[in-house]
Amino acid sequence: MAPGQYSMDAKQHTMSPVVTGATVIGMKYKDGVILAADTLASYGNEARYKDVCRLKKIGEYTLLGAGGEISDFQYLSNLLDELADEDWLHEDGCSMGPKEYSSYIGRVMYNRRSKFNPLYNQFVVVGKKQDQAPHLMYVDHQGTAFEEDFVATGFGMHLGIPLLRNNWRPDMSLDEAKALVTKCLEVCFYRDCKAYCKIQIGVCTGTTVEISPPTTINHFWGHGAWTERRLEETSDSTGTW
Amino acid sequence: MARRYDSRTTTFSPEGRLYQVEYAMEAINLAGSTVGVLAEDGVVLAGEKKTTSKLLDQAKQHEKLFQLDDAMFCAVAGLTSDANILINRLRLSAQQHAYSFSEPMPVEQLVTSICDYKQGYTQFGGLRPFGVSFLVAGYDVHHGFQLYHTDPSGNFSGWKGYAIGVNNNTAMQIMRQDWKPGMKTQEALELTAKVLVKTMDTASPTADRLEFGIVYKTPEGQVKFRMLKDAEINKLMADATPKEGEEGAPASSS
Repeated sequence: MAPGQYSMDAKQHTMSPVVTGATVIGMKYKDGVILAADTLASYGNEARYKDVCRLKKIGEYTLLGAGGEISDFQYLSNLLDELADEDWLHEDGCSMGPKEYSSYIGRVMYNRRSKFNPLYNQFVVVGKKQDQAPHLMYVDHQGTAFEEDFVATGFGMHLGIPLLRNNWRPDMSLDEAKALVTKCLEVCFYRDCKAYCKIQIGVCTGTTVEISPPTTINHFWGHGAWTERRLEETSDSTGTW
Repeated sequence: MARRYDSRTTTFSPEGRLYQVEYAMEAINLAGSTVGVLAEDGVVLAGEKKTTSKLLDQAKQHEKLFQLDDAMFCAVAGLTSDANILINRLRLSAQQHAYSFSEPMPVEQLVTSICDYKQGYTQFGGLRPFGVSFLVAGYDVHHGFQLYHTDPSGNFSGWKGYAIGVNNNTAMQIMRQDWKPGMKTQEALELTAKVLVKTMDTASPTADRLEFGIVYKTPEGQVKFRMLKDAEINKLMADATPKEGEEGAPASSS
């Protein structure tokens, strides 16, 4: 085997994902940071698991949103839970916040890609630790990691970021922030075939981390352009030749 | 009587003692005086060097004080070679934590990690314990300024003032009386100097026999580590030395 090759069997390497999550949107608002994602895990083009929570609370102050391969998200979730437990077991009055967790996730992702066995995910790691500034980080399967005021993964990058760029302000209220991410996910649902109309929103305020129960986005299909019959109808409507 | 139970480090004696660990602690009691004092806005560590000779190649050899991280440093008492191994581990642990988590390692976690390592040598492997005690001084955002003492058994505790090496009892006695809560770094430096004057072998303590280091908060609120310069050390020690004829002055020898 070549040095650093993980296994002889190529099937052991996650080179193409199987069960995937789509867009995750994260953005800072006045008092903290929010994360939103739909509740779908697709099996290729099939909308297979429609009640999946792609947001996860880590430790006391951090939220992780996952797109990409769901099994890799679950694997990383276990690692992060172990880390959080170790932190708690220290009993030293120090607890890790979003900066530490997002840095750790970044290191894991980069090291996995360097071994040619990536965790096939695009993560948004957000959080606010008490009075510190809110933190928002994007980390993906290549080990790319950067901090921003708002990010989106997957289709959300193309459909949602323009909306976020036009409407985001640092002093948005929680309701305005929720409305903006909902709007982005709504656009994603219309245009991304692997998106879904049930979403969850997670909020980090510095003292609490809460993931909302799923809500359904309103979607409208009664457009004239969609419902009008445009095809010329011939008298012979059986349509055979 | 004890002979039968000393050679194996990892076995208890019938009285429930680990002789190798105790012997290691004895070795440390013969080391140069090392003192640490915790202040409200900083921590002071100082140590008396044992190896001072005109023949030493480099003018400034570190023997007692070593920096571990941006805002953490330690003082060593005991076998220098053992200490070097542990200091490398301490520095590596601190940097690995910063690499993984983008945050400086909390002081107590670093102390815990090295103590757990030292403890391993008292329980398995059949290897002798490290003959080193540390005074670790540092700052983190979680608990502010802290001072810890570690010993060869792998035990540690946090202190407001501590001394190891020769005459540590005398040193602790003085600190017990003179340490006050709310002391500033400068007062802690003066207390350290006062203690060292009493515990050091020589009547004229000068900078070439001493290392002084502090972790402190600048007026702008930044936390920094630095070693004191010779001139500062000499001044501190001179101010702390009682003048001839005063009470406590060393008796003049004929």
